[in-house]
Amino acid sequence: MTKLVAVADGLGRRFGENWGLKDMSLTLEKGKLTVLVGPNGSGKTTTIRILSTLLKPSKGSAEVLGMDVLTDFKKIRKRIAYLPQGYEVNRNLTPAESIKWNLVARGAPINEAGLDAIEWIEKMGLEKCKDRSCWALSGGERRRVAVSIILSTNADLIFLDEPTTGLDVEARYATWKIVRDSLKDGATVLLTTHDMKEAETLADTAIFVKDGRNLMSDNPQKLIDSLPSRYRITIKKEALGDRFVKESVDVGDRLVVYAKDEDEVRRFQADFHDLTGIASVNRVGLEDVYLRLIKGDESYV
Amino acid sequence: MFRTIRQIIGVAIINIKAIQRQPLWIVQTTISVSAWALTMYAWGSTRALDNLVLVYIVAGSWALGMNTVAQSIGWERLDLIYDSNVASTITLPIYFLGKIMGLAPYFLVNLVISMAVAATTGMRLLLFLPLMFVAVVSLILGSFLSLSIILRLKTPTNISAITNTLRTLTINLPPLYYPLAFLPGMLREASLIIPTVSLMEMARWVIHTPTECDPILSFISLLSWLSVSVLLVAKKLKWGSE
Repeated sequence: MTKLVAVADGLGRRFGENWGLKDMSLTLEKGKLTVLVGPNGSGKTTTIRILSTLLKPSKGSAEVLGMDVLTDFKKIRKRIAYLPQGYEVNRNLTPAESIKWNLVARGAPINEAGLDAIEWIEKMGLEKCKDRSCWALSGGERRRVAVSIILSTNADLIFLDEPTTGLDVEARYATWKIVRDSLKDGATVLLTTHDMKEAETLADTAIFVKDGRNLMSDNPQKLIDSLPSRYRITIKKEALGDRFVKESVDVGDRLVVYAKDEDEVRRFQADFHDLTGIASVNRVGLEDVYLRLIKGDESYV
Repeated sequence: MFRTIRQIIGVAIINIKAIQRQPLWIVQTTISVSAWALTMYAWGSTRALDNLVLVYIVAGSWALGMNTVAQSIGWERLDLIYDSNVASTITLPIYFLGKIMGLAPYFLVNLVISMAVAATTGMRLLLFLPLMFVAVVSLILGSFLSLSIILRLKTPTNISAITNTLRTLTINLPPLYYPLAFLPGMLREASLIIPTVSLMEMARWVIHTPTECDPILSFISLLSWLSVSVLLVAKKLKWGSE
């Protein structure tokens, strides 16, 4: 039987006259990584801040670890950890000190915290800079320290708000690995991102968020498989000539068109005698699911 | 209980690292505090030195609360360290106590030098015990008043510019370093509305030295300020659930 770690029903939050979150319902399964994906200002951070008990909902209800966020917030906080978007590590500490003393501040015995810090330094590839104060680290290295501080808590439910923003490719993959590995230790993770590729790579469940609402949620591959097309072809407008393309996404001097299968791709390619008119051919992904969703394409629904 | 103490130590160590990594701040404090004592001594005024002992306790703890603790909390709110701490096993009392402990070395400089000054003027060191009570009140009031302003800032800004100014306004200008008697009659009582002036009167009262005004007036001023600042801070310093 699936165990639910968090359940939100019709959550909304008003900031003055504006509803930052209008109608968010979701469930988080134990041991799974759920990703809230959507554009900036869509309500992802507000959702996380309500579930992590930083904000009270203006409407709706939410239970985290079987406890109500309004009445049992003190108990909830003992079992969660939260990495806010834009979190800045204390630059006066080294990475090792940051992890160790933050663990002690959260109740870990000092010796244990020291050993955990060493382990996490290795996991996050911070050995070379473990004894340098965070003043001397790059933005990406500081971000990795921040992620380590939160993941090392071994909390039952971990909230990560845009944890890989600003990281280079190598650091981002290292962070993805660590986040997925933390699930093996029994953690449940709710992560937000505006990067569809990140959601596709990481998520057990992806939840599309827009204008403060949950548009759709499911396993990323199921969402992708539900699309009528399998391929997206990026073509240069200048190469289009008189050809008419009925469904496309305009990206300035290029168009993105969709093909149902490989045969249709080949037919398209055959149509373009000069293949330099075709910029790229890729399989569809979550981004395409999202585009069709917000366009209100009925063939998708 | 041991876990709570450990947590407070954890928060304290995080804060003390700022002093360890940037020692020039505490060097500056030490030089400044020592220089004042030397200046008063050079001018040969025992009365000024006796007064200085009280100033260092009152102003030192006030500055710790207003400028150091409140500033640190303000910056951590901007850096979202505060939010991460809320969504954890750290509680507000643990956070606040840990912060005071970690930043206390700034006050300890004042305490050590004031004790050295007291020893030269023949003041009994036992009197520092009741003075610690005044220091606690001064620390709490200073940090709450400062927080009640910082937490209401709508846009991120240089918090130090605000807290440093507040500190200077409440310590350097009012009659702390100079005697309250320097002010003309009515102004003496009126100046008790400034919390640091009332704290100085309270410090004089607890060590049984003559006060310039009726101690009741200082108590009323301090109680009023404490009540107002607690209300103002309680509205804004939420530990989550906003």
